[in-house]
Amino acid sequence: MKIVVCIKQVPASNDAKIDPETKRIIREGQKAIMNPFDTYALEEGVRMKEKYGGEVIALTMGPPKAEAVLREAISAGADRGILLSDRVFGGSDTWATSYALARAIEKIGDVDLVICGKQAIDGDTAQVGPGIASHLDWMQATYVMAVDSIEDNNITVKRMHEDGYDVCELRLPAVLTVVKDINTPRVPTLKGRLAAQKSEIPVLKPEDIGADPDKLGLNGSPTRVVKTQPPEPRQTDTLRIEGSPRECAQALVRELKFRGLV
Amino acid sequence: MIAKTYIEKAEYRNIWVIGELLSGEIQPVTYELIGAARGLADARQCEVWTVLIGAGAGAGAGSLFAYGTDTVVVVDDSRLDGFQDEIEAKVLVRLIKKYKPEVVLCGATTRGRALIPRVAVMANCGLTADCTGLSIDPENGDLLQTRPAFGGNILATIRCPNHRPQMATVRPRVMKALEPDISRVGRIIREGILDTDADKMKRIIEIFHSREGALNLSDAQVIIAGGRGMKGPEGFRLLKDFAFRVGGAVGASRAAVDSGWIPYAHQVGQTGQTVQAKLYIACGISGQIQHLVGMQSCETIVAIDKDPDTPMMQMADIAIVGDIFEIIPEIMNELAKS
Amino acid sequence: MRYHIENKVYHVEILPPKQDSENLERDLDVFAEKYTRVMDSGYCACITDNAMGHLSFQGTEMIEELGLPVLPEQVMIHLNTFHTREDLDNILSYCVEKGIKYLLVVSGDGSERLPRLKPSDIGVQGTESITSVELLQYITREYPGKFVLGVAFNPYEPEDHEFAKLKRKLWAGASFIITQPIIEKNAVVDKLIAEYPDVPVIVEAWMSKKLHLLSDAVGYTIPENTEYDPIATLKLLHQAYPKNGFYLSLLGFKTQYDLIRDLWV
Repeated sequence: MKIVVCIKQVPASNDAKIDPETKRIIREGQKAIMNPFDTYALEEGVRMKEKYGGEVIALTMGPPKAEAVLREAISAGADRGILLSDRVFGGSDTWATSYALARAIEKIGDVDLVICGKQAIDGDTAQVGPGIASHLDWMQATYVMAVDSIEDNNITVKRMHEDGYDVCELRLPAVLTVVKDINTPRVPTLKGRLAAQKSEIPVLKPEDIGADPDKLGLNGSPTRVVKTQPPEPRQTDTLRIEGSPRECAQALVRELKFRGLV
Repeated sequence: MIAKTYIEKAEYRNIWVIGELLSGEIQPVTYELIGAARGLADARQCEVWTVLIGAGAGAGAGSLFAYGTDTVVVVDDSRLDGFQDEIEAKVLVRLIKKYKPEVVLCGATTRGRALIPRVAVMANCGLTADCTGLSIDPENGDLLQTRPAFGGNILATIRCPNHRPQMATVRPRVMKALEPDISRVGRIIREGILDTDADKMKRIIEIFHSREGALNLSDAQVIIAGGRGMKGPEGFRLLKDFAFRVGGAVGASRAAVDSGWIPYAHQVGQTGQTVQAKLYIACGISGQIQHLVGMQSCETIVAIDKDPDTPMMQMADIAIVGDIFEIIPEIMNELAKS
Repeated sequence: MRYHIENKVYHVEILPPKQDSENLERDLDVFAEKYTRVMDSGYCACITDNAMGHLSFQGTEMIEELGLPVLPEQVMIHLNTFHTREDLDNILSYCVEKGIKYLLVVSGDGSERLPRLKPSDIGVQGTESITSVELLQYITREYPGKFVLGVAFNPYEPEDHEFAKLKRKLWAGASFIITQPIIEKNAVVDKLIAEYPDVPVIVEAWMSKKLHLLSDAVGYTIPENTEYDPIATLKLLHQAYPKNGFYLSLLGFKTQYDLIRDLWV
């Protein structure tokens, strides 16, 4: 099995504010981490390799410093990492990002399975996984909570839905996006981390993956952010209740009854 | 598809809603999206179309007119039994190319979020996830799509100036359905599946239905939610008792879920569920913005906390200052009396 | 643990490098240097376990990879509930093999990346999540007689709650107590010492000048003094608690280490 796990480097937290003067987003002093959902994708890939043999390749697109998440992936069991990094990739929306990743996966060649986390915590769109499948015209299974078996080029997975789940079989090559329920990711060991630091991480540019520059970056992105603003506060006159626990409880129940809520 | 000029854009017309079907049954998010689409269609002076794709999809088509749709496109084929995202995507792309809608809206459900990105790539158009606001720019007729970004700390407005259709997903219970008007009528168009649509077909082996956890929370009229202030799983046992007493469901902040006090299915907020209960009682939840975006459209919000100055206590309709562990048993006593 | 108190052996906290360290080589060197210094001083090195939920390397792998010596009376490993069963057993077996006998067993702080022990992992029923009590029970059951187990006591939590929890911890196999950091004589700690005269109590002294970090660590707001002198405070704490052991958190190795040598008299 040749497995590609797509990973995104994201800010550790979402503390973003808007500068009241410049109206620009301030995100300072942020640590960058591997998107938490991707750790489940990586773990699942590594487990498959351990079970069926093969290779796990961690793939990311981002600035040069995104190399750190690839080293982290290698210390957690990936065999190697590939970084897509170039100015031309900058400003890509989910359409252009999934295009670039799909071209890289084609370039890697003979890939059986692509695994992504269900979404990244900074964008929360959940669009890149199915987008990659679409660009490659491969089958897909999203919100995968278990991989039951891989046999004769077919993979059987359990997909989570709002009203339960289903078990379905799809042909490889395919793209999976996985949810947290799928496994418990291992924590990288110091030994693995020291080994990962010595790995060579190739940096690929659009021409290296045969990507059309017009389909990348801002040029290749159909969506445009036209405005950012802080959310409007909910307008309300808060009724404050204080006193002993019993007094508070009595006042609340009286109020809720008056409003017809209990 | 690329559409840069006025003339190119004018070829695209009408607001589409992709219906959400579970076992052939139309889900509430479909009515909510039709409600939102109606407003957009009125602004654009065009029609609302609803597309129903699935085995047995035709059954409920006629009921949709009352909610504001003008045309229903039905694709009913036994090969669509279960969730066949690859086939549905191909069918949708074919319909989009044939009828050229200006806007396509879809529920941000597990199915919608699997299907629509696949369609957007094939149709070469922009897609905005989890919109909380949709409007038409009066100057140029573009769809303005507002969504929370950075965990809800910022609202971003997005447009797709050079591509049509403009696609967006919206979470269940974010938009409001219109009051049904049974005097409204419309037409139904039936479309079929081509063999080329169904070249990639999943074998659905088993389907399990369970309405445990996740759905209970989003359907609940009353939600008792806890945060860091509940201090541990024992605190949540108190909330479960309370919820049971009032016929509600238990919600939680991310902090509580990350601490392992309660399973993820209970998480409310940007990375959890969006809820629209009549009554939301927040116990020991400070109210980080990522939580607030998931529950701020509840009708009445009650906050109980030791600290009177948290964002949650500021935004609540009713704020009780005090010890949760003392107040909740008293509330239960008080309710038992009546 | 009596040995430590009688022989005035400080417990010196050392944090292993974080997983996302930007200069791992340097951090490893710093760790090795601190550890060696603590060994040479005859003190006890206490190695934290993903402190504050920050994903860090384990004390056991630091000792292994850096080839650090283990002197049984001079090493204590923190162990919390954020591990898989497999990792937990790896850590515990390594400790047995290397002769590490002191463990501080705590619930610990979680994060997105840290797997929490599930009740089913260690055969526990009737609870949503594993706390230090269940972890203590597991260690005493699976590794009988191998470890001397300590637990934390938080004087900033509601008193009744904390004493009830402590009772369960001691019942589950703990034989010594380390308090949360204090910065002056503390009435709740006094009560603890009075109630458990037979259990060694190690007082944790806050050695950082940054008091707001302490507020963060204990989840409680401690009034901010403009001038906090950790060394002077440690002196006062020694006078207040002459019969107790001492655990030093966030000790400055550059500026403070040489100053503590003659404080415990």
